[in-house]
Amino acid sequence: MAEEEKMPDFSDVQSGTESTAEIVYEVKSGDTLSKIAKQYYGDANAYMTIFEANTDILKNPNLIHPGQKLRIPPK
Amino acid sequence: MAPRINSLAIAAIFLGAVLGLNGCKKEAPPPPPPPPPAAAPKVEAPPPAPPAVSVANITLGKAIGSDKKVTATTDTFAKTDTIYAAVETTGSGNAEIKAKWTFHKGDKVADVSESMETVVATGPAVTSFKISKPSGWPPGDYQVDISLGGKSAGVKKFSVK
Repeated sequence: MAEEEKMPDFSDVQSGTESTAEIVYEVKSGDTLSKIAKQYYGDANAYMTIFEANTDILKNPNLIHPGQKLRIPPK
Repeated sequence: MAPRINSLAIAAIFLGAVLGLNGCKKEAPPPPPPPPPAAAPKVEAPPPAPPAVSVANITLGKAIGSDKKVTATTDTFAKTDTIYAAVETTGSGNAEIKAKWTFHKGDKVADVSESMETVVATGPAVTSFKISKPSGWPPGDYQVDISLGGKSAGVKKFSVK
């Protein structure tokens, strides 16, 4: 009996997005601005760029809540 | 007695005259017709709605520039490459762009990664999706399906060698 061909494991795949347009990102549980900055800018230290674009809904860069919709300005 | 009759008669005549005058009073003329309504101010037609976002081009590459376009298009990658799919769009408005990456072996398909972004486009834009795998890409055939607003906007096939 032929052994069923095993498919590779892709669980460690990392993804990211960059755009010339503004992106709207909905905060998920466990997110931090640094994590979001890493995802969109490739640089966790760029979190202040996101904070400054969202001061209408964020008062503290260390405090974001699931469901909040953040504007991610183009890099 | 005569003077009293005269007074009564005069009073009656006066009263009659007053009533008579009122009775003959012409009906009040109808109110003048209302002035014609002022000409409605000209309402300028709203500007035509900008065209909705649509996908113009999808390219694959190993790197992107500051314009988010791939610097060199390719459909063959090495195990350690970061793989970019640059989606060029035209039009304005909010658009949900999704990139679904899959691995194909024979008739089997494995999900590699899936990303969806809501982009606020104000004109031509480029949105680049990237994937990387620290442990290295298994050699084989892959593809990325790009959809816009839930509808397929294009498929790109590539391989890892």
